[in-house]
Amino acid sequence: MLDRFGEAISVVLGALALAYLVYEIDRRKRRLRDLFHVLGSEEADISGELLSMVESGELQPYSREARA
Amino acid sequence: MVIELPARPRKAGRRKYKPPADPRFRIFISDSGWNAVARRVLRHNSALIRRLHKEELIYLLSRKKSVEFIGRHRSLIGRDPIIAVHDLQAMGGRGTARCHGFHLHLGILRTPRQALVALQTFAHFVGAYRHSANLEADIRTGLHRDGYAGRRRDPSS
Repeated sequence: MLDRFGEAISVVLGALALAYLVYEIDRRKRRLRDLFHVLGSEEADISGELLSMVESGELQPYSREARA
Repeated sequence: MVIELPARPRKAGRRKYKPPADPRFRIFISDSGWNAVARRVLRHNSALIRRLHKEELIYLLSRKKSVEFIGRHRSLIGRDPIIAVHDLQAMGGRGTARCHGFHLHLGILRTPRQALVALQTFAHFVGAYRHSANLEADIRTGLHRDGYAGRRRDPSS
């Protein structure tokens, strides 16, 4: 009886450890995807505005000479 | 008695700015200044980004412009300093309809060490992958560490 109970506890604890591992890996991956966010069609308006700032001359490229 | 110091003469031999001949990326740096930790790391390590200016086009948004820009795009609030990288090769072919670059959201990081590591990873990636044939897949494998799964998920590979 005690053996079976011990086995059941081990299985539950093992499953919990595995679930935590999977959760932690997933959390870190989501964080990396948020940190280095790939630009797609959803960000088209954001990129479009930056592009129009460049095309209108509102933004000029950085140069060491200009900073000096 | 007031002595007027002569104005510092401009060096006659100063070279005029020549934009890079064949840039792959356009890099925009936007920072409203709300995250003091990330802002400090970015300022103290700006050489990592400046080093890229010989090959890529870099644009710095002023604090005022950054606040206005982020205010118009509410999904960016709480994520700046943001370094936006536009892939000119992808944008030339299909515009902004599909993957056309990536953002580094430094503002979501809380410690100087995390921000520095992210900035170093970013600078290395931009330098190393400027000739990438498939930038989206390289972002997934190189930055997201998705491994083979990242390449499989990419529809263009």
